[in-house]
Amino acid sequence: MAVNMSGEVILAADRERVWAMLNDPEVLKVCIPGCETFELDGENTFQAVARVKIGPVNARFKGKVTLSDIDAPNSYKISGEGEGGIAGFAKGGATVRLEPAEDGGTRLIYDVEANVGGKIAQLGSRLINSVAKKNADTFFAKFAEAVGGGTVVATNVDEAGTAAGEGS
Amino acid sequence: MYAFDYQRPSTVNEAAALLANGSGAKLLAGGQTLIPTMKQRLASPPLVVDLRDVAELRGIDRTNDRLVIGAMTTHAQVAESAVVASTIPGLCNVAEGIGDPHVRHRGTIGGSLANNDPAADYPAAVLALAATIYTNKREIAADDFFQGLFTTALEEDEIITRVSFPIPERFGYAKFPNPASRYAMVGVAVAKGPQGVRVAVTGAGQNGVFRATDMEAALTNAFTPDALKGISVDPSLMNSDIHGDANYRAHLVTVMARRAVQAAAA
Repeated sequence: MAVNMSGEVILAADRERVWAMLNDPEVLKVCIPGCETFELDGENTFQAVARVKIGPVNARFKGKVTLSDIDAPNSYKISGEGEGGIAGFAKGGATVRLEPAEDGGTRLIYDVEANVGGKIAQLGSRLINSVAKKNADTFFAKFAEAVGGGTVVATNVDEAGTAAGEGS
Repeated sequence: MYAFDYQRPSTVNEAAALLANGSGAKLLAGGQTLIPTMKQRLASPPLVVDLRDVAELRGIDRTNDRLVIGAMTTHAQVAESAVVASTIPGLCNVAEGIGDPHVRHRGTIGGSLANNDPAADYPAAVLALAATIYTNKREIAADDFFQGLFTTALEEDEIITRVSFPIPERFGYAKFPNPASRYAMVGVAVAKGPQGVRVAVTGAGQNGVFRATDMEAALTNAFTPDALKGISVDPSLMNSDIHGDANYRAHLVTVMARRAVQAAAA
């Protein structure tokens, strides 16, 4: 099933600093919910392990994360593909754009398109949107904290995206 | 099949000791969520601690102005209890409407609360009734207990022992069940009692059970279904999924709240 999400965050740091942090594996590791490892594995590719822990579900996903369409310090595309063994798979990408905001801050605009399949999608079809939103909010709250402050302006989950997805 | 250890302690203290020792151990309170999740391989705890033999976790009692239900009491036992029927009859209806007969005879109130599924029925009832959740370590007010999607105030090695409800003047619950799972698409519990009027909504919110404070204010003025006319919850905070979008759920919240008031007044 597909999950589409977009949102905006205002961060209290200039664009160069936000850009540097968006490219820092240590920062990403701390901000990605459940992330256990996030290591550089080649030019602009990373190996990551994240634990999905929602209620009774407790499954570990291993995956590869790639940065592409890099236009420093304006935008990049971050894509990932994860395998949770029998639990299922998740793959998707996010376009991240940075714009200068008032008071020397930075406006971060993101657009996520993800696909979740396998058993985790079956069992979670009634919950995937809420969980995706919660994870996005957690990520940006932690990221804002890491750059020294900020506010989440909007997090939108696109309903059309899920209506088109397969049900269970 | 994968291997895991299984223990069946007979006291809360023994169960707590097992949780403290085996990291990642899960409590089996009824297994209506844990077992399907394990079958799907979405969880593989190294140790399952079955609470079925812990006698102190069972039983339904009335003490003065409170109804106390043991954590391992099944939904069927609550539905059929004469004590519950004579104190909070609406709670019998809540239990009667959960899942199917199999779920009602295995699933327990403590298990449901600890899981805090965002579409489960008990969280709405417990929150609306301002119940107190007792654990092996402390007591937790319902307002502090539910902390969003599948999240509660419970610590990893904490065990719910019983739930204590102040007996209200009126209580009603109405839900629109998903026709396949019987989970609440939207469920609204309304209580009028020593804590004032409280309205709790399950199944609808993006972050699990929540209180509808505008509705509480309107019902404090007049405890009638018509008092809720024109009051709705914010659709941007509602869940959207293949079963119904946020606007539909927001609409259902008002409809179910009116029916809950009606049920409470009857």
